[in-house]
Amino acid sequence: MKDVTGNSAENTNAPEISEGETAVIRFGQKINWSALAPPLVFIAMLLGVSLLNSNYLGPLGVSIATATAAPIMFLALGQSMILNIGSIDLSNAAIALLGALLLALALPPLGIGAFVLILLLVTIVGAINGAVISYAQVPSFALTLGTLAILQTAALVVSGADTIYVTQNRELISTLFKEQVLNAPLTFWIGVLVAFILWALLRYTILGQNMTAMGKNELGATLSAVPTRRVRIITYALSGFMGGLAGLSIVAQAGSASASGLGSDLLLPGIAAALIGGTSISGGQTNPLNVVFGSLTVAFVPIAIQAMKLGAQAQSLVYGIFIILVVALTTVRSRETIIK
Amino acid sequence: MIMAPSTVLKLKKISRAFGHVSAVKSISLEIKRGEVIGLVGENGAGKSTLLKILAGVEQPDSGTMEINGKLVTFRSPNDAVRAGVGVVHQEQSLFTNLTVAENLDTRNAGRIGVKNWARINSECTAALKKIGVNLDPTARVSDLSFVDRQMVEIARAVAIDPNTTGTPLIILDEPTAVLEQNETDVLEREIRNLKEIASVIFVSHRLDEIMRICDRVVVMRSGKIVSDKKTTEVTKEDLFRDMAGGVSQTAHALRKRWPAGAKPAVEVRELASKGKFKNISFTARPGEIVALVGSNASGREAVARAIFGAETYDSGTIEVKSKPVSRWSIRKAVQAGLAYLPAERKVEGMIAGLSATRNIALVYQGDGSSGPFLNLSKLAAVAQSWFNRLDVRPNTISRPLINFSGGNQQKVVLAKWLNSPHTDVLLLDHPLRGLDVGAAQTVNAQIIKTCESGAAVIIIPDTIEEALEMADEILVMRDGEVSARHDMRTKNNLTVQDILADMV
Repeated sequence: MKDVTGNSAENTNAPEISEGETAVIRFGQKINWSALAPPLVFIAMLLGVSLLNSNYLGPLGVSIATATAAPIMFLALGQSMILNIGSIDLSNAAIALLGALLLALALPPLGIGAFVLILLLVTIVGAINGAVISYAQVPSFALTLGTLAILQTAALVVSGADTIYVTQNRELISTLFKEQVLNAPLTFWIGVLVAFILWALLRYTILGQNMTAMGKNELGATLSAVPTRRVRIITYALSGFMGGLAGLSIVAQAGSASASGLGSDLLLPGIAAALIGGTSISGGQTNPLNVVFGSLTVAFVPIAIQAMKLGAQAQSLVYGIFIILVVALTTVRSRETIIK
Repeated sequence: MIMAPSTVLKLKKISRAFGHVSAVKSISLEIKRGEVIGLVGENGAGKSTLLKILAGVEQPDSGTMEINGKLVTFRSPNDAVRAGVGVVHQEQSLFTNLTVAENLDTRNAGRIGVKNWARINSECTAALKKIGVNLDPTARVSDLSFVDRQMVEIARAVAIDPNTTGTPLIILDEPTAVLEQNETDVLEREIRNLKEIASVIFVSHRLDEIMRICDRVVVMRSGKIVSDKKTTEVTKEDLFRDMAGGVSQTAHALRKRWPAGAKPAVEVRELASKGKFKNISFTARPGEIVALVGSNASGREAVARAIFGAETYDSGTIEVKSKPVSRWSIRKAVQAGLAYLPAERKVEGMIAGLSATRNIALVYQGDGSSGPFLNLSKLAAVAQSWFNRLDVRPNTISRPLINFSGGNQQKVVLAKWLNSPHTDVLLLDHPLRGLDVGAAQTVNAQIIKTCESGAAVIIIPDTIEEALEMADEILVMRDGEVSARHDMRTKNNLTVQDILADMV
């Protein structure tokens, strides 16, 4: 490494790793469209809605959209990290809901300590997911489908199928929602901060590099001495932790938690947000910053449908078509890729 | 029947550019009936683009193509097939879960109907007979040997349409790159038979084969044909020179040999893995090259993987630097200084979608990391220094590795391991497979250099010649056991035939 020539010096600061580079070279463009697609899709949707009915874009509209986006964003960020290593976590929304219930139960007696306890607990649940996949070699889809069912049962048992209200110490958590910056609740901004941290993790750490390498080619990574088992366990632990944050934002918003209330149906929106954010379902490709826009887009779709004055029956239909279109727009394509 | 020497293929001023880069520049080429043409050139010389144009995958920007005297324009690979151009790729394209006959029965593709098995099987036998091969049409392709599969591919290419009046043109794209010596011999014989019914373009990096099989050799460099001569009128050195555009060099540099007796870097004793290998014992010392030679089924690859911790073994011991290993794993092996270049480079050796920089930084980051954090500009500097040292082209370290040619990918894979100062045992499985002469020289020189500076090398070579030229000790393996051992420091009159005799 001592014989670096003068020629290399100018290259050393060159921007590194742009995954969509193939496409850029082929079309001779300087702009990497696939990386910009998620924010562009979101902006396009905002413009579309504002043309139809500008009332939806007022302070109230922003606060509703960002409040809805917050728990989806935490789950989508966790999911995108899991998808990035080539696996999937179907249990993360169930982790979030169980976390929300336990938090609602633990806050009155424990106060601030409840946060630490619950986040630690959900992180361990995630790590167990990862450990079973790694050591028992159960495919992630099958295993997390199983944990999903188990956690749902646990949620019912814990709550006794009732809504659990945070009777004391409520202000500890509700401020996270009531305190707003630029019309968006704090929980949303915490999500954005976490997205930045995850982005930096993937780009600037050995762990992040190993995650992406493993997602692109697990066998190749294993043969290059990447500790794939450890990386998988850490990633699932991270997904569990993110599920905990999602649960926290649910309690912050509702002041309560229930097995069938707010946040009980977030698994698919979370996956959709990760995909719309440009995360590849076949692994090795994600950008947490774009997942923020993916989550905003997913949260905004119902609002957009209302703005179009469509009937309630049409909502799911439009939602479905929209997801397909947006994923088609934001997927990073290359000739070599096999679509799973 | 006497056939007039008519022209099967006639290319006139064919050109093809990708953006600003012209891959093929005004190529004119004629091939007569029954001729076998050798097409050689380094990676990036334009061979693949030319082949793709002939196969209908790429369309030329300008120029004309005539096949059997008729002007043709291929818009798709189907057009090429109909005109009588068959391509046999290095990566085989057979359906291995189907029978030989089903693979050859391409005419039926896409039509709904009842299968006439008697007709399909008899046509298959006829097609195989045409190229002089005897195979059971009902055999499953997955049960065939590699060379037999290659023959089925050739039969499929020839059997394009039995009603075609013209002579088929068969393109063999590096058919021998993954074959062993004895299989190559069979293939060579078959190609000579093919001359009776077809014209052949034979692409290979192995000049010995080209010289043996072909009537004419066409050398490409930078998108142009730089030489087109009868095989009898050229020597291997001429071809080397034409391909590289400079002075001829032999691929393997002679190495200064270390004195025997240094402390072993790796010592394997009576290693055994059920159904794969047994009773394997050998020692690799610093500065020493041990070659494991044998057929694909000889178990040599499994031995290399067991030493690297990538496969388990049932009994025996592995000692690394005089310490016996226990609960051996890839992680432990790498920490102990072992490095492994797998034969399946694209799948096992590298992360194709990651940049060259990240691939090099995968195993060891050095001062490119502090704690868990990476310093991207330092990693880029490290990658750049390897790119300069190993002459990796194109010189863009941030490009995903998949966009480099095979030879340059292998340079990066080697750089990944050598980047770690701990690496002092190299396990190399076909390190030069599919590499052009230039890249092979660079990779080989780097291996020799690493060895001379004190690394022990355990190599599964591409050819027996390679083993004879490089190794200090040759272990010949047959059916999972060592069938012969040759200490090259004392024996230097060994020939390929001697080794082959140990292999079968």
